[in-house]
Order: sequence, then C-alpha cells, then structure tokens
Amino acid sequence: MADRIRSDAGAASRRRFFQQAGAGSAAVAAATLGLATQEAEAATAFDGSYDVVVCGSGCGGLASALFARWQGNSAVILEKAGSIGGTTSKAAFWYWVPNNEAMKKAGIADPKPDFLKYVARLTNPQGYDAAHPRFGLTPWEYEMCSAFYDSASPAVELLAAKGALPYRHVADVPDYFAELPEDKAPKGRVLVPKDAIPSMSDGGLVAVRTMSTKARQEGIPIRTGMRVIKVLQDKSGRVIGVEAKDELDATVRLRAKKAVIFATGGFTHNVELRKNFLNGPIYGGCAAPSNEGDFVQIAGPLGAQLRNMNYAWTCPIPLEKAIAKDGSISGMFSVAGDSMLFVNKYGQRNVNEKLQYNELAQTFFEWDGAKAEYPNLVRIAVWDQRSQQHSASAEYGRLIVPPGTDDRHVIKGATLAELARAIDERMAKYAGATGGAKLAPDFLPNLQAAVARFNQFAKTGKDLDFRRGERVVELLFNGDVKEETGRTNPTMWPLADAGPYYAALVVAGTLDTKGGPKTDTNGRVLDGADKPIPGLYGVGNCVASASGRAYWAGGATLGPIIAFAYRAANAAHAEGRSAA
Amino acid sequence: MKTWLLLPALALAANLALAQSPGQRLAQTSCTQCHSFGKGEPHGVGPNLYGLLGKQAASNPGFTFSKQYLDAMKGKTWDRALLDKWLTDTQAVAPGNTMVYFQDDPKKRAALVEYMQSLK
Repeated sequence: MADRIRSDAGAASRRRFFQQAGAGSAAVAAATLGLATQEAEAATAFDGSYDVVVCGSGCGGLASALFARWQGNSAVILEKAGSIGGTTSKAAFWYWVPNNEAMKKAGIADPKPDFLKYVARLTNPQGYDAAHPRFGLTPWEYEMCSAFYDSASPAVELLAAKGALPYRHVADVPDYFAELPEDKAPKGRVLVPKDAIPSMSDGGLVAVRTMSTKARQEGIPIRTGMRVIKVLQDKSGRVIGVEAKDELDATVRLRAKKAVIFATGGFTHNVELRKNFLNGPIYGGCAAPSNEGDFVQIAGPLGAQLRNMNYAWTCPIPLEKAIAKDGSISGMFSVAGDSMLFVNKYGQRNVNEKLQYNELAQTFFEWDGAKAEYPNLVRIAVWDQRSQQHSASAEYGRLIVPPGTDDRHVIKGATLAELARAIDERMAKYAGATGGAKLAPDFLPNLQAAVARFNQFAKTGKDLDFRRGERVVELLFNGDVKEETGRTNPTMWPLADAGPYYAALVVAGTLDTKGGPKTDTNGRVLDGADKPIPGLYGVGNCVASASGRAYWAGGATLGPIIAFAYRAANAAHAEGRSAA
Repeated sequence: MKTWLLLPALALAANLALAQSPGQRLAQTSCTQCHSFGKGEPHGVGPNLYGLLGKQAASNPGFTFSKQYLDAMKGKTWDRALLDKWLTDTQAVAPGNTMVYFQDDPKKRAALVEYMQSLK
C-alpha cells in the first residue's frame, strides 16, 4: 500500500520543512515557477495519495472502498469517530435487494415494472399514476429507483463472493406494505448477514466486522479519528483530495487521484439542520453520534444542490435517552407487548401502536391548529405486569426491557393513579425540552376510559378504532407475547385490573436523515445545473435519497446504499487519474 | 460542536477538552458510542467498563457476551498488557467477537489504558 497517513516519515518531514521555511516560501516558489498557489500546494503538501479517498466507515464507505479496490484502485477510508462502523454498527442490517439471486433460486418472480410501481406508489403518493411511463415519479426519482433495481443484486453477490459480506435469505420477512396490489413480491427481497443471530438484531456488527476485516486484508487503511473538513479542488474545479483533522487537531491532506467518495451519514445530531429541514419535531435518534451533517456543510460551498432534506428514516425513541444523548440509543423498531397501549397527554389513545416504525413516528407530528400545539409530541406507553413478564427484550429498541438492562426510561406505579402521578413528575423533569408539555387535569379518567375501551377490543381481537394487528408487518414486529390458545389477534390482550403498571415517554426520532446533496445514478454529486462536480461522489444517508417519504421495506436503507456504493465505485474507477 | 463555521465555539470546546486527560478525550470520542464508564451506569451496545482492570474477563453481570468472546477470553484477567493487546486489534485477540476496534498508535493506546486504570 502506498502511503500511511500519519506515520509517513516523508510527509511529516515535508510538513516540518514547510513550517521551518515559513509559510511564505511555498507561495514564493509557486510564483517563481509561474504556478497558481493552490496548484503548487496541491502538488507538494499532500500526506498521502490514493486513487480513491473514502470518507466514512459504515456500510457505504466500506463497500465503496472494497468495490474500488477490487478493480485495482488504491483506496483509504477516513473515519471521524474513534471507532469504525458508524450507524451501520448499530443497525440490524437487513438489506432489501429486489430480484435477488436467492429469490430467483426460490422461484419468486420480481419483475422490474411492478417493483417500480410499488416504490412509485409509496415515494410519490400524490403523483402516482400506474399508466404513466414513469408511474408519476420525476425523471431523477425514476432513474435512481431503476438503478437500484439493476445494481443491488450484482453488488451484494460480489460482496458475498469475495467473502466481505456473506448473506442468508430471510424468505419469510414481508415488505412493509405487503398488502398493496402493486407489491408483486411481498416477501423474499430481504437478506441479512450470514452470521447474524436468529433474531437478526446484530446484523450490523457482523457486517462491520466482516467488511472491515476484508478491507484490511485487501490493504485498505482505515484511519479513525480523522475528521474531514474540506474538499480540495484544482483550478478547474476538479476534486483532488481532502483536508482532515486528526484526534489531536493536526491537519492531514490526502490526494485523491480519481475520486473522493463521501459516505458520512446524515444530520441526525445537528440540531440546527434538523430544525430547519425536517418536517416535524424530531428529538435526535439512533444514528451514530458523529452523524452531524458534515457533507451538507462541506458540499454546500462547492455548489451542490440539496434534495429530500425534509424526510428522514423515522422511528419512535424513548425521550430520556434522546435527551441524555445516549450513544447506545436504538430506535423502537418493535413496539412490544400485547397488554400495552399508547396515550397522549390528554389520556387519549389515538394511534395504532403497532404501525410500522417509520409511519408511527410521523403520527407524532400532528399539529392542532386551534390549540397551537403538537398534542402527540410526547406519547406515553402504558403496560402491565403481563407484558413486562412476557414481552421484555433488550433488542430492537423495545421499551419493555428485562431486569438488569438499562431501564432508566421506565416509570412505575402500583395503581393507574399512582402511575399517572409518576408520569406527571417525569414529564415535569423534561418540560424544558417539550415546550412545557404536561398531563391534562383529566388525564387519569381518560386513561382509565382508554384502557377500558382497549380491553373491550382486546377481548374480541378487533380494534374498532385503529385496526391494530390487521397488517402483516404489525405481526412481524409484535415481539414476544404470552401464548394464548385460540386467540385471533396476538397484538392485543386486556390490561390487568390490578397493578403494577409501567409507562415510558416516547417521542419521534430518526434512524438517520435521508436528505443531502443530489447525486446522479452513479453517485456523482450534482451542482445547481445538474452537472457533476468532477471527482466528487456521495453514497448513503449523506446524500439525497430518491425514496421521498417512503420506507419501502426492512432494509430499504442498506439495499440502496450497497447498490449505489457499487455504482459510485465503478464510475470512480472509470475516471482518469488526474495529474498530481 | 456542530459546525465548522462557529470557530469561537470550537476553540472554547477545545479548551474545555484540554481540561480532560488525553485518555478520557479518546475514550469519549472512541468508546462512548457503545460503552459507559461511570460506576453503576447501565450497559450499552457493549458492557459498562468501570473498574475493568483487575477483573476477570466476561465477569460483567447483566451483559450477554458473544460466544467468540467467551471462547477466547475465558479465564483471562484484564491487565494493562491484555488491554493494550485488545485495543491494538480486538479481532486478533478474539476473532469473530462483536467488537471491531483497532488503534495502531501506541501512545493513544497507552492513554486509554491510563484512563481505564484511573476508573476505580
């Protein structure tokens, strides 16, 4: 491998030379030689040189670097955090791969036009038209979705064949809108890392392990603690490298002979960007704490245009952990428990608690224009001893957790009245973060009425208000519940008449955001005139997703990330090496 | 520390950071995404690390360790040498275990070990 970044003695002594010689001399020398200052610096001041410089060490970065390396390019990965993997290491890492090889072997057809209808229906519901040549999608959306369909399977096959990411097919996992008539392959598109545990919740750790091991075997240095702060361009505007700061604040410049690929995640942990771009009150989320919207800020001055900034991969999260900026926070993929319901601060049950997480979170955004408030800003999950005993789990961000695990978010009461008092106290503690939200004076009687009505529905198995448990995805995420023979709806059971009772405060959050610089179908970042900024690429949550508001299926995050890492690396490979 | 534009804020944060030991700073940037360090704090993605040095490996109650970790670490006691080896490349010590971390710089490893030693 060519250059080590910081331990490279030559680079270090070059830096020392420039320091000793004084800042002016490089410019003087440049002027003497008749070169522009920037160009002269570019020619001399780099600490290492690679064909491809990849920023970010989650799935998007690891895959981009591997795909580029396998075509004979040298590559380096720069990771801002002290450890690798980013949000990927916290993910279950299902990946949604249309028309994958395992489906073909199992005889599951997944024709492209129907696939595109399904994603069009969800991505642009107000413009959907089955008879339109692009099904109502914009040309950009259509091309991106089409490219995803074409490249996802070849990309995952290559990762598997090289031993970087062997997979197993989970043929029984349904898409999130499996009932829609547009979905002709409602099951079969989901893959997970081969060695993930049976519940598949640790897939991200497995993927980061196998992909990073392969990257290091292939001679791709992975440098942690490297915060990329600037993209360097030559006089013509071509991207020729990056400038980064290491953990001890030293400046490191790396040359990229072909391309710089960003895969640095979204802006979940940038309060300012969140507030200005997202379409609802979001309290952070389970993206890696280093996901601070770096690429939005870096690509802005280069003239990149932004797209899909208003949407995120959303998920309910426990308020306490969001406020505490708990790095281990998980989104609530699974709202567990059968004898469990959600109410708002008025004690009203007004949602199907088992709605798939992306859709559930967005019901927290409802605005009451008369009261000028978000009535569901903080919802309260309430459950009884039965669910505590039979539905507790430390996986998938569940609120109901087993003894010995982190239960700071759990509020307890021997009776519903005692529970209501405890909820009131807890909400007062967080008033500063909720606009002073507190329980309504009639919260307790309303809660009791809500429980009574829910219990009636639970006895018949039919939720006449919100149809809980009627869709297949709601059963997928139901989690463990106590066996009951002959029951038709395993998502519901009456809450006990006697305590103890439990509660937790729930707000809307993200897995990560999904807006950013717009790219073409090969990951090239586009300027305001839709022209690629030469040499600059983006993959994953740091760039604009063409999915709009939609969360098509489990793994609809990582499937496209792998497909576009493949396409970006292929396009980067085809770029001529620019002269150093 | 959200933006590169707010240089004064950045400088202030840097000053605050200087008040901490280098090891504590490194632990904060490298480890707190998965681990807690305070006495009695709950486990995260990884186990709580308070008082790790001197303890038997995998003796942390309430945390489920991977089979690969248990196979490799059974009977070992955490001392400075083992921790240094671990931080050099966790996958070399316990291949296939859940934690992927490597730190090539011996000075940074030493700072982390120093910080871990101070937690008791």
